[in-house]
Amino acid sequence: MSPLLWILVVISQLALVTGQIFLKRAMSRRELGSHHARGWIGILTIGIAAMTVWFLLWLGVMSRVELSKLMPLEGISPLFIVLGAAIFLKEHLNWRGWAGVILTCVGVFLVSVS
Amino acid sequence: MHDSPPVTVPPQPSPGLFWNPYVQILLTVLLTSAAQILLKIGADGSASDSSTWSLLGLKELGFGWTWLGILAFVASFGGWLYALRFLPLGLAFSLTNGVHIFVPLGSWLFLHEQIGSLRASGILVIIVGILLLAQSVARVEEKV
Repeated sequence: MSPLLWILVVISQLALVTGQIFLKRAMSRRELGSHHARGWIGILTIGIAAMTVWFLLWLGVMSRVELSKLMPLEGISPLFIVLGAAIFLKEHLNWRGWAGVILTCVGVFLVSVS
Repeated sequence: MHDSPPVTVPPQPSPGLFWNPYVQILLTVLLTSAAQILLKIGADGSASDSSTWSLLGLKELGFGWTWLGILAFVASFGGWLYALRFLPLGLAFSLTNGVHIFVPLGSWLFLHEQIGSLRASGILVIIVGILLLAQSVARVEEKV
């Protein structure tokens, strides 16, 4: 894979994490009272826009790289999401949760390379 | 006279099993898996077509299976947004990896694709991972 494609993969993963964090923020804000809930549709729109960027970049990379090479990279996305949620949303997982995340990443990798 | 500080009430899902956020995650996983298989059936319908329309994915839109797949994707997104209202993102996203269990199983059942030993072991590892995640949730809820 060329350096440009690697950069596109990294940007697509960043867009995925950003999109999911904004979707979560929007849905959490929607639960607050009417005063705090203002603007949740704007946040939701940013989330959907970021997810669209992820989808288009992922399709673009997919059209240039064999699927079997690309799919294992999808396996690490839960790890990025959990890290992003810990940093930006202050979410915490106990050791069982972390072990579960790492095992599902390994499992997705195995399914993808099979 | 003092104003009492605002009390933040954690969001509560609607009563009933269907509105349980974990059930919604399961429905999201099942609908996404169904969507992938339906899109694959739709895409196979134009596999022999090498026209530009087909390469752009537009020819596939002429098949009912493709539209069923798109419908399943949209429905799964609704369930995902609902679950996000109540569950931590990291946990919810990790649980959606169940897709990697149901897509190979559905492909085996409906598309007659083979599941080799490596893929089967990967599915088993994902199941163990999801069970660990579920256990971590149970422990957190016990403390609450």
